[in-house]
Formats: sequence, C-alpha cells, structure tokens
Amino acid sequence: MRSSPGHFLLDGVSLAYEPGDTLAMAVVRAGAHPGRGGTLCLAGDCGNCVAEVDGIAYVRTCQTTAGPSLTVRRHPQGGPPAWHDPAPSTARPQVRRMEADVVVVGGGTSGRGAATAAQQAGRHVVLLDAGDGNEVVAVYAGPTLVARTREGMLHVRAQEVVVATGAAEIQPACPGNQLAGLVTARAARELHEAGIDLGDAVAIGPPPDGVPCMLLTGELVRIEGKERVSGVVTLDGGVERTTPCDTLILNLGRSPRDVLARMADDLPVRVVGSSAEAFPLPPAPTTGIVCPCVGIGVDDLEGVWSRGFRELELVKRASLVGTGTCQGSVCLPHVRAWIAARTGEAPGPFTARPASRQITLGEAAEDVHLDAFRRTPLHDEHVALGAQMDRFGGWWRPWHYGDHLAEYRAVRAAVSLGDVSTLGKFLVDGPDAVEFLQRLYPTDVATIRPGRSRYALLLNERGHVIDDGMICRESESRFVLTFTTGGAGNAEMWMRDWIETWGLHVLLLDRTMSLAAINVTGPRAAELLARVGLAYPPRFLQHTRVALAGMACHVMRLSFTGEASFEIHHPVDRSVGLWRGLLAAGDDLGIRPHGLQALFGLRLEKGHVIIGMDTELDTTPRRLGMDWAVDMDKPDFLGRDALARTASLPDQRRLVGLTMPGTAPTEGSPISSDGDIVGHVTSSFASPTLGQAVMLGWLKRAPFPDRFEIDERLAAVTPPPFYDPEGQRARA
Amino acid sequence: MRAPERLPALRLVASPLTLDGLAWPEGVAALRLASDDLLLIGEGRMALGNEPAIIEEDAGFVGWWLTPSELETAVLPHADWPLPPSRPALAQGLVAGVPAKIWLTEDRALLLCAAAYAHELAERLG
Repeated sequence: MRSSPGHFLLDGVSLAYEPGDTLAMAVVRAGAHPGRGGTLCLAGDCGNCVAEVDGIAYVRTCQTTAGPSLTVRRHPQGGPPAWHDPAPSTARPQVRRMEADVVVVGGGTSGRGAATAAQQAGRHVVLLDAGDGNEVVAVYAGPTLVARTREGMLHVRAQEVVVATGAAEIQPACPGNQLAGLVTARAARELHEAGIDLGDAVAIGPPPDGVPCMLLTGELVRIEGKERVSGVVTLDGGVERTTPCDTLILNLGRSPRDVLARMADDLPVRVVGSSAEAFPLPPAPTTGIVCPCVGIGVDDLEGVWSRGFRELELVKRASLVGTGTCQGSVCLPHVRAWIAARTGEAPGPFTARPASRQITLGEAAEDVHLDAFRRTPLHDEHVALGAQMDRFGGWWRPWHYGDHLAEYRAVRAAVSLGDVSTLGKFLVDGPDAVEFLQRLYPTDVATIRPGRSRYALLLNERGHVIDDGMICRESESRFVLTFTTGGAGNAEMWMRDWIETWGLHVLLLDRTMSLAAINVTGPRAAELLARVGLAYPPRFLQHTRVALAGMACHVMRLSFTGEASFEIHHPVDRSVGLWRGLLAAGDDLGIRPHGLQALFGLRLEKGHVIIGMDTELDTTPRRLGMDWAVDMDKPDFLGRDALARTASLPDQRRLVGLTMPGTAPTEGSPISSDGDIVGHVTSSFASPTLGQAVMLGWLKRAPFPDRFEIDERLAAVTPPPFYDPEGQRARA
Repeated sequence: MRAPERLPALRLVASPLTLDGLAWPEGVAALRLASDDLLLIGEGRMALGNEPAIIEEDAGFVGWWLTPSELETAVLPHADWPLPPSRPALAQGLVAGVPAKIWLTEDRALLLCAAAYAHELAERLG
C-alpha cells in the first residue's frame, strides 16, 4: 500500500517519510536504525527492526507502511519493551472463517503457480500473502490456518495447504553483528531503489544488481564500529584485512522459510519453491551472537553442550536459542551448522509451534471463549432472594443467601430448601442393566429392591474413588443413578465406555439438564411436603413417583445434611413453580433456603465426604474409612482386583475426623505432630451445634498420632459422624 | 438474541435399529443426537412395542428458530465447524464456546441448547 509523504513520531521526534516507505525504511532514510542494531532484511524474517507501534510491541517495522498518525517507540536496548495499560476496548472479538479446497501461503512465483494449477483443476483456492496484509501465523489440525489480516483474524479450513513462502537470507553470526549499518542484499536493493544513500558500501557475497558497492573477497571475521559499522574484517589467504565502510551488504546464502510447514507435521501440507529447497548451511560460527532475538552467543551454545544437551531440540530448550521474535529464522541455520561441526551430521530443523509471528493478546483471544457455566432453572429465584452466586462444578450455585448460619439453623431446627438440580442424573435400563451396574459399582446392586435406593462409591480399575452418588431401583431393569455435580460428565463417559467395552445391551439417558431437583430437608420436611400433596412420604432410602403441586415428581428419601431429607426431581420447566410453592407452604414453619456454605457445614457435621474436596486421585475406600461401601463378596466389579491385591498391604494414609475447640482453621491447613507436618485439613467448620471446630483431614504418616496441632492449637482424632452418630434424625 | 423458546420434546433411547425403523408425523423435528438417542420436538408420545427403550418427556432444551440470513450472520461466525450440505440435517458442536445443536431444514434453522446454557449462548451471540 503506497502512502503520501508525511511525518510520524519516532521516540517522540517527528520523522519524515516518502511515499511507499515502510517505517523501517523511513528510519534508515533518516540515518538511524529502526531497532537497536543488527542486520536488516526488510523482509519480515528477523526481529532486528521490531519496535512498538501505536502501543503494540514487537511490530515488524519493515512490514508496516509509514503513516502520519503512527507513533513508533524503539524497544529499550537489551530488555523487553515497557508495559502499558491497554486502553479499554469495547470491540467484540470477531473471527472471519472461510473454507477452501486449497490454501496457498505466499504469492511469489511458486505460490501463484500452485494456485493457478489448483484452480485449473477446479479447486477452490485461497491465496494468502503477507505482502497483501494476510500474514499466516499458525497451522493447526484440520488443517486450519490462522492469519492476521487488516480486517482482523481469519481462520481458513482447507483440504490442502501449500506453503510457498520462499527463502530467507542468512544473516552473519560473528562479532559486531549487532551494529547498525548491516543489510542483506535484498534489503540493500530495496533501499537503493527507494533512493536511500547507503554511503560507502561494501559487499560480502554476490552484490545486488545496481547497488553501488565494493565487493570484498575472503571470509567474514568480524564487524567493527561503535553502534554503527565503521569497517569489516575479512580473512583472505590467511591474512586479515580491515575495510572501512558506511554500510555492509551481506549475501551469505539462503535458508527455507518453512516455519509453517514445520508446524504442520502429519497434516496435508505441501511445500513448494524455495521454501522446499535444501540450501547449504553457513560455516559453523565460532564466536559472537548467534540468536540476536534472545541474545544467545556461541559461548552459550558451548555451555549447554558441555552440560550434555547434544540434540538440537535440547540445545534449544536449554539455551533458549530460537525462541525469540523470529522463532529461529536467523539462528537456526547457524545452530544446525554449529552442531554439524561437532557431530559430523547436520540435524534437521527444530519443531515450530504457533504463533510464527508476534500477535497481540487480543488477537490470540479472538474466538477463544471462557468455559460456559450452567444455570439451574432457579437461578433467578436465588438472585431475587439475595443469594451470592458462585461457580461450582460447572454451574452457578448459591453460596449463601446473606446469613449462612441462619440457613444452617433452618435445616437443623425447621425446614429448608436446597437447589440440587446440578447433581448428575441418569436413567439406566435394558436387558443387561443389572449386570452392568453389578460390574460398575462395588455394592451389590442386585440386592436393591425396586423402590429402594443405596449410596454407592464409583471406583476405577485401580480401586480409587472417582465419584459417588445414589442408586435408585425403579423396576427389575430400570435404575436412576445420581452423581456429584462436578463428576457427572466424567461419570457418563465412564459408563458409556464400559457399556461399549463389555458389549452389554444397556440404555443410558443423561437427565442432568432435563430434570431439576430440590432438596427439602429438616425436621419439619415431611410436614411441609404433606401440605403440597405428599401424603405418604417414602421412608429412609426409599423413593417414589408422585404428583406434587400438580406435577410428576420423583421423590427420594436420603440425607446429606443429617436431617430428614427428600430430594424432589422434576422437569426443569416446572421448577420455579415448585420452589415458590414450597416456600409459600412452609412460611409458618420457619422455612428458608440454604446455600452451599451452610450445606458444606451440615454435611461435615455428619462426616460425609465430598469427592474431589476430601479425596485425592488415589483415594481408596479403605483410606476413607468406607470399606462398608464395598462388597468384596461380589465376584467382580471395577477395582475389585486392585482392592483385593492391596488389602493386606500397609497404608500410610487415612482421612480422619478431627475436632478442636474454637474457630475453624482454614481448609488446607497443615496438621503437625512433634513439629513435623503429618497431613492437612480438607474440610473445616465451626459447628454451632457442637460448639467446636469439626474437620476432615488427611494423615499421611504412620503410625497415626491421635493428638496433634492445627493452627498451633491441639486437635484430636474424633471418628465421624460428629452429629447424631446413630442417624436417628435422618431416619425420623 | 431474542429470548429462546422452550422446546417440549420426547426423548427416545433405544437400539439404533429400533430408532432407524421409527416414523413420526409431518412437522415433527426428529433430531438424532446419537445412534441410540432421538429427540422428537413437537411430538408428545411414541410407542416402541416390546423393544427395550427409554421414552421420557424432555423439557431441557430451548431454542431459536432462525432464518437462513440470521443463521449466517448471527450464528455461523461463532461456529468453527462446517454445516452438513444435506437437508434436513443436524449439526452439533460448540457455538461461541457453548454446547449447541443446529437443526437445518430447507427454509429455516433451529439453534438449540440445554436450557442451562441458554443465558450464556444468548449473551455470547449478542
């Protein structure tokens, strides 16, 4: 894009530019360097001209057309650019998407040729060329190309990708290569054609056509000068010779621009033209900076080599060579040559990864979304009741409604509602349903009679607890299963995998987002439910299908809070009506809803674990003290072999109940014994009913002490449940 | 996006062969969510004889009926996957990062998602 003459700001000083100038060219025209030194390629290959342009750092000024409104600030010498608080943006991220049979990257001779051939074959072709402002920065599976364009980010999915990005000019790796006044042959020609005076120019390697310069013979040894080149030292016939100059033109060979192809291993990507050529490597560098972007010298390479990192990928990781702005475009040929000089064999180039060019956080974030958190149908009801909502297990849930202790007391002394719509809810049926569940669970599912339910652990093959929930039997073949809020998704995959693996005829339906659930809990729960039509409430661990407030509901009698509890599963579109009806019917009973904060305390008083909070990835039933949930008399179930194998082995881990006077320590607090940390607290609650702190915590060092310190206070092991140990209230 | 409408539906889980053999009245949108899972929107009852099956009313989905133009401008820029060329057809995937489905007919499209995700989807589509 050509521009009119004008001025832009460089480090706060107005600088003139000519029509057609890039920013880099205009700076060179003024006798300066657009970066802080180093060879200029003016082709976008190196990082020597990057600067901050209009607040965006690491912009290649050689690829940016000069314009009157631009503000350019050079990066500081030897350090990262300054951080600026970005201006607030109200722009919505937008990505354009496109599909094509063939995408050709690069509009040079070979690229245009490939595009023409594909078009003539009747294929839909998209050609992306950086010169047109369409800079491809990544290739992903698909293959999908990500390009930065003037209109924003572009994602193109193609059947085939052709990389025709040409070749980059090799830059010098020798002392003095960070001075100003060094240009590649192609850059010298561009500067000359733009009317920029290069002064007394000398060339190493074939000089560019038409550019006045003196050709030097011999090998490049070093470049001399202070900030800017003043002379070049060559070795010719065993004699060093210094040649004064204003500009050093370097034509040291080429290397393929194949970074996109190296990103696309195993993808249908074809490389054509110069980018597919195997150019000879330059002589191995012996001293000086090899990777100007990161400032890695030959001495750094020797350092990592001497420490045993003797493969290219390891040298890269250990030294950080090739991890800078140009992603190895400058240094890769030199590092390969350096390794080849030591091993006798040139290694292939290192793997490339997106992005090949610096992109802004905004550009990287385009089309990236935060996880979507679900809302229960009662979300607005909770908000209207003053709930503080928070994210748990992929859902928005009420943490409290302003007074978690009042909510706690409503459960213990009256009646309360809890929104448990988030629980995983599944229907299982089919001829092999019982066989399937027998294999899936460690409990004897066959002994659960229709109308009854049972708490069950879900184990993996190693006998580790991965989830828990209820098994409700409805008929000979039909079961309702519940799982934890955060574990429901994995539980579904787990079940489907095993149904497939075992080849059983089992039908499975996820009802998690089709059914809502309200937990009615407290000593007056049954009284409340009688008012809305539950004349015959199920007994503890029974369940029934019944019409409540005019809708079909599935009522399960269980208890997580320690009080009589009825979990009412019902269609999501009727949930608000049921919730409001229950609150209205219980108004004179002291009803109020409870949030998770109260629920966590209530369940902790009962010693109920929360999977993922009180358990770890390798937690077994034995470690939880829940061997009672495992029926080892069953011939087979997932995890049985592992449990049988490890049953007689010593185990240094136990989840135990803990109590101590006073306030509840922070969850995660260390448990100490005689000055040693022997475990940590997983759950903690200052029980208003019990007048002390109750906790669950891991002891991880045998023999297990029975007294220790938490928060510098004495604590004791107290077997749970801490509240109503006989379970009379839950069964009432 | 305007408010979504509820999509009362019937959910059928049965063997793929059983579902392959089903017929439903005209005007019913039959979304084959998986080989053993069928969602019938606009149908209140269905019998499968003696075949093992789960048949449940399903109130868990909401949706937006869209014109082709609305689909093109409001939805597809947020979907990183191609639509199937045939009609009718079902496409499933993330739309603006939210699990969603698109039911495509000759003259209109139904964008649907679980009601639990409706607020996120509507907000992200603007």
